[in-house]
Amino acid sequence: MKKNILIFIVFLLIAFVLPFVLSVYGIDLVSEIFIMAIFAMSLGLIMGYAGMVSLGHAGFFGIGAYTVALLGPHIPNSYLLLFFSICLSGLLALVTGAIFIRTSKFYFLMITLAFGQLLFALAWQLKQWTGGADGMKVSAPLNLGFGEIVSPIGIYSVMAAAFIIVYLLLRFFVESPVGKIVKGIMENEARMSALGYDVRIYKLLTYTFSGALAGFAGSLYGFYNLFVSPDVSSWMFSGQVMMMVIIGGVGTLIGPAIGAGLFIFLQNFISTYTERWPIIMGALLVILVLVGKGGIIHWFALLKSKIFYKKRKNSDDYAPQHVEKEEVVN
Amino acid sequence: MSLSIFSVQLLTGLAYGMLYFMIAAGLTIILGVMNIVNLAHGTLFLLGSYMAFTFMNQQFSFWIALLLSVAVTAVIGIIIEKLFIRQIYGKELEQVLLTFGLAFVIADTAKWIWGTEPQTMAVPALLDSSISIGPMVFPFYRLFVVLIGCLLALLLWYFESKTRIGAIIRAGVDDRAMVSALGINVGVVFTGVFAFGAGLAALSGVLGGPLIGMYTGMESDILVTSLIVVVIGGLGSWKGSFIGAILIGLIETFGKIWFPSLSMLIVFLLMVVVLIIRPQGLFGREVA
Repeated sequence: MKKNILIFIVFLLIAFVLPFVLSVYGIDLVSEIFIMAIFAMSLGLIMGYAGMVSLGHAGFFGIGAYTVALLGPHIPNSYLLLFFSICLSGLLALVTGAIFIRTSKFYFLMITLAFGQLLFALAWQLKQWTGGADGMKVSAPLNLGFGEIVSPIGIYSVMAAAFIIVYLLLRFFVESPVGKIVKGIMENEARMSALGYDVRIYKLLTYTFSGALAGFAGSLYGFYNLFVSPDVSSWMFSGQVMMMVIIGGVGTLIGPAIGAGLFIFLQNFISTYTERWPIIMGALLVILVLVGKGGIIHWFALLKSKIFYKKRKNSDDYAPQHVEKEEVVN
Repeated sequence: MSLSIFSVQLLTGLAYGMLYFMIAAGLTIILGVMNIVNLAHGTLFLLGSYMAFTFMNQQFSFWIALLLSVAVTAVIGIIIEKLFIRQIYGKELEQVLLTFGLAFVIADTAKWIWGTEPQTMAVPALLDSSISIGPMVFPFYRLFVVLIGCLLALLLWYFESKTRIGAIIRAGVDDRAMVSALGINVGVVFTGVFAFGAGLAALSGVLGGPLIGMYTGMESDILVTSLIVVVIGGLGSWKGSFIGAILIGLIETFGKIWFPSLSMLIVFLLMVVVLIIRPQGLFGREVA
């Protein structure tokens, strides 16, 4: 625990110093990374702590982004907009999750994929409101009570603060009794059910929480990008976020955030050289899946255990990924 | 809606349903036997379609182009299975991710080679006419697609229930470990199933060429539709895919006429209803 606090303080220092050393472009990029990190952490929560692999999480992100875009001209208060985004996406996660979590692993993946693509299609087809494939401009200035925030540093600070708040929230959730129960369900659903826990309620709770956070990330993206298009809900985007989670490491909180950072950085870096970045990113994913040992955060753990040869088996560090959930029939 | 429009839309819906059946049949059997949601399946459809388009531009006939692109895609399926999926046996989530990466690579390569302009494929000359019964006009090509779809369904049914390989595949869906314990080379079965699925996806893509054409993002649309078909029909069930695909084809076609902007929503709601009533799909077995 002490070590965690230390890492946290180091992170705060870095986040504080970064704007002074980076260019405007860099600050902008790191702001985007913070947003994507929130999004990736929300997916990482259900993937790594509840064993639910979703390929439709961008749907909630899109709900958040479009809420800001559509309601922005009518509601001047940024807090209210954020609140609506979170409530709407959370509510949608609650309703759809109640149906989706009745199914097993691969069904869940396919159904969430279809769900995300449904929102994508709606954003595309409801032209009179969303502008269809052309997307729409966001005319909602970010104002948190001390003037409109437009400067890159201002946006950066808001995104950094949001990231820290979400991280602490998630940390709190994971360490709470509920979080422990959820993790128990992932590792052995039948046993937790036999112990008297209502498995579905806990899964649904986690899914709703995760959906609301994804919506929050989406609304921040609306404020940040000032433009939204149906692509924010597409399954390819959901897949990219899943890539972030996997790159960083499933089963940890900060892993997905690191994955998001690396992904956004690489994507920007590669796309300055070639427009064929999807081929390279796809190939990187294939290589990572074939040779990667559970993502960056686990490489650190492996490296550490190699350097400081400890008696403690390092398998503990990356165990969550390999725990095969016993198939349970509803 | 007049009878003539209704009848032609009915035929169109059935033809689309057959295309969905061909691609979903591969998807469902790969999922049933290998436990992989092949996210690259839509790109195999795209690849088959584009390759036939190129072959036809090289003055090959539609039929030769059809055979060639199905064969080439099946070989690509073998390569994908042997080179990539084989490497991470048993790690199912990783295999799904792998297919996602491959989908990225294949779709972008297709964009690179064939550009982003939508393309169309000509209806083969032999079938480029229609038959009329009273006020109703039926384009031959759509009738042909429906016929091929039904024939394929029959063939699959025969293959599944009457042949040795079919028995192995059925056993594989139920209990893979047992099949391998009986001394059957599961690796060969997996490669075969994957290649077969890839070939079916290409078949669907080529036959769909004159109906749907080719455009960027088609692979996502077709993948999502066929996933919904699999969910509705039930895992590993060809019969379920057949029924589900026809349902989706009809609902989508008529949905587009009556509620143009909500057709996807209707299809999705159908899936939700099926899931609420039967979480394992219409023809899925209890163990999923």
